[in-house]
Amino acid sequence: MTERFDLRFPEDGSVLSIENLTLESSERLVVFGPNGAGKSTMLRLLAGTLAGGPRIEASYLPQRPYFFRGSAGYNMGLGLSAEQASRARSIADRLAVGELLGYEASSLSGGEAQRVAIARALARPEPFVLLDEPLSAQDEQDRMRVAAVVIEEIGDRGAVIVTHDREAAAVLADRMAVLINGRLVQEGEVGEVFSLPATDEVAAAVGIGNVIDGVVGGVDGSLVALETGGLTIWGLGGPGPGSRARAVFGAEAVTLFRGRDGLAGSARNRWVGTVTEVRDLGRLVEVIIDAGVRIAALVTPGSQEVLQLHPGAGVTATVKAAAVRVNPA
Amino acid sequence: MDFLLEVLSDALGALFGFGSELRRILGLTLVVSLSATVLGVVAGVPLGTWIALGRSRVRSAWLVAVNIGMGVPPVLAGLALLLVLWDAGPLGGLGLLFTPAAMVAAQTLLAIPIAAGVTAGAIKGLPRSAGEQLEALRLSGLQRGRLVLVEVWPGVVAAVAAAFGRVVSEVGAVLIVGGNIVGETRVLTTAIVQETRQSNFGDALALGIVLILVAAAVNGFLTRMQLKGANRD
Repeated sequence: MTERFDLRFPEDGSVLSIENLTLESSERLVVFGPNGAGKSTMLRLLAGTLAGGPRIEASYLPQRPYFFRGSAGYNMGLGLSAEQASRARSIADRLAVGELLGYEASSLSGGEAQRVAIARALARPEPFVLLDEPLSAQDEQDRMRVAAVVIEEIGDRGAVIVTHDREAAAVLADRMAVLINGRLVQEGEVGEVFSLPATDEVAAAVGIGNVIDGVVGGVDGSLVALETGGLTIWGLGGPGPGSRARAVFGAEAVTLFRGRDGLAGSARNRWVGTVTEVRDLGRLVEVIIDAGVRIAALVTPGSQEVLQLHPGAGVTATVKAAAVRVNPA
Repeated sequence: MDFLLEVLSDALGALFGFGSELRRILGLTLVVSLSATVLGVVAGVPLGTWIALGRSRVRSAWLVAVNIGMGVPPVLAGLALLLVLWDAGPLGGLGLLFTPAAMVAAQTLLAIPIAAGVTAGAIKGLPRSAGEQLEALRLSGLQRGRLVLVEVWPGVVAAVAAAFGRVVSEVGAVLIVGGNIVGETRVLTTAIVQETRQSNFGDALALGIVLILVAAAVNGFLTRMQLKGANRD
């Protein structure tokens, strides 16, 4: 099921103007953009809490969930049937807040409260899910675990997730759209948006990075090996062998050597490939390498010249495994 | 100075005397003003909730009406009700004029806008995220109303206190539709007017002291309720 919307706010579109926003059932669309880009406005129009939008059949997690007087559990059950409430409790357990449901909601920390609100939103029955900054209040060590539960509980529903956080976007997205000044400036597969930003504006907002999907092949201590396109990517992460996963690392973490047999030092990841594209970003140069999968690297203009990094050049790219995160997908 | 002391000693004498007439006046005052407060709150709090929980022209019009109603002089409300209940008026057949029922009706009309206005103000004072969350929960109107009233509980108590304060201290409307008939429709405020007019200052002051004690007792109780609801960080 595909649905298309034109969103405009206010009527003249001065704050937000999006044509042909496409939502697919069973796809997670992450809308990424800087603060004030209009992300929450967009979500509120879709949810119908702001007049003038399509008000789709969706469960909605507001950016700042509000808790009414009463326990966290009471708040979590608001608007839910008995069956949905029991589903919410099981999600809360998975989010490690199941034990806190008896406490007064106002006594929960920001991160705990957000997880209770996530459990409530994901237990609702609507075919779409709208999440406004779902990981914003989570501590560094909890974020990926919460993200994994969110992905799993969204299941085959369609989702629109708004965030200004690169890592959250990289983990949660099937497809990614970049919103700047109320306009969608790029939309595409998540790895593509990160490695091939359409404009300097997008590059500045998103940053350049690598998001690569694959399947976990092996585990070596705290490192896992992601297999993809004939390439093995070692990184830190939790997913077990055989599970679908996604490797995320910054383009600045990639070191390039000229030639296809470069001495790659201690780096665990060592990939041989060919330069396909070179983009001048001003102070840095982005080099796109085809190594079986597309890898984006950032180098200084000086290194680009010394290493003669032009399309067609053979290179070896290395990345320390510690700079790569492998997350469940 | 001697004069004031004399009035005060007369007043204390009257209080300790606490005759059957004073008892009847106090009883009627409590019955009329508490009934009017209850009726005004029962109608006004839901009205204020409904006004505050949505944005539409109809609700805005009601908000304006409520705000005007809060400022209507009681004598005017009394006059309007008098005309309606007058023998030749539209509800003259009910024979309610100069009865406690008419007094309750007049004071209820005064209490409703206060209760509605204070309630609406309390709800409108909730943070914007509360309204956003309320929408996101997709509750029925009744569930939403219950949830916000519990949320603004101290505000609801303030609405009750304000409604009671308006009716118990009010003299114009009850005087007009009640008539200040001894033993039938005389309440503390109208009795004070009567005694003052007849220069029975001691009796008037005694009645005033009783009125203040009544107001203090009711408001003391309401304040306790308010503090109970306010223990939230």
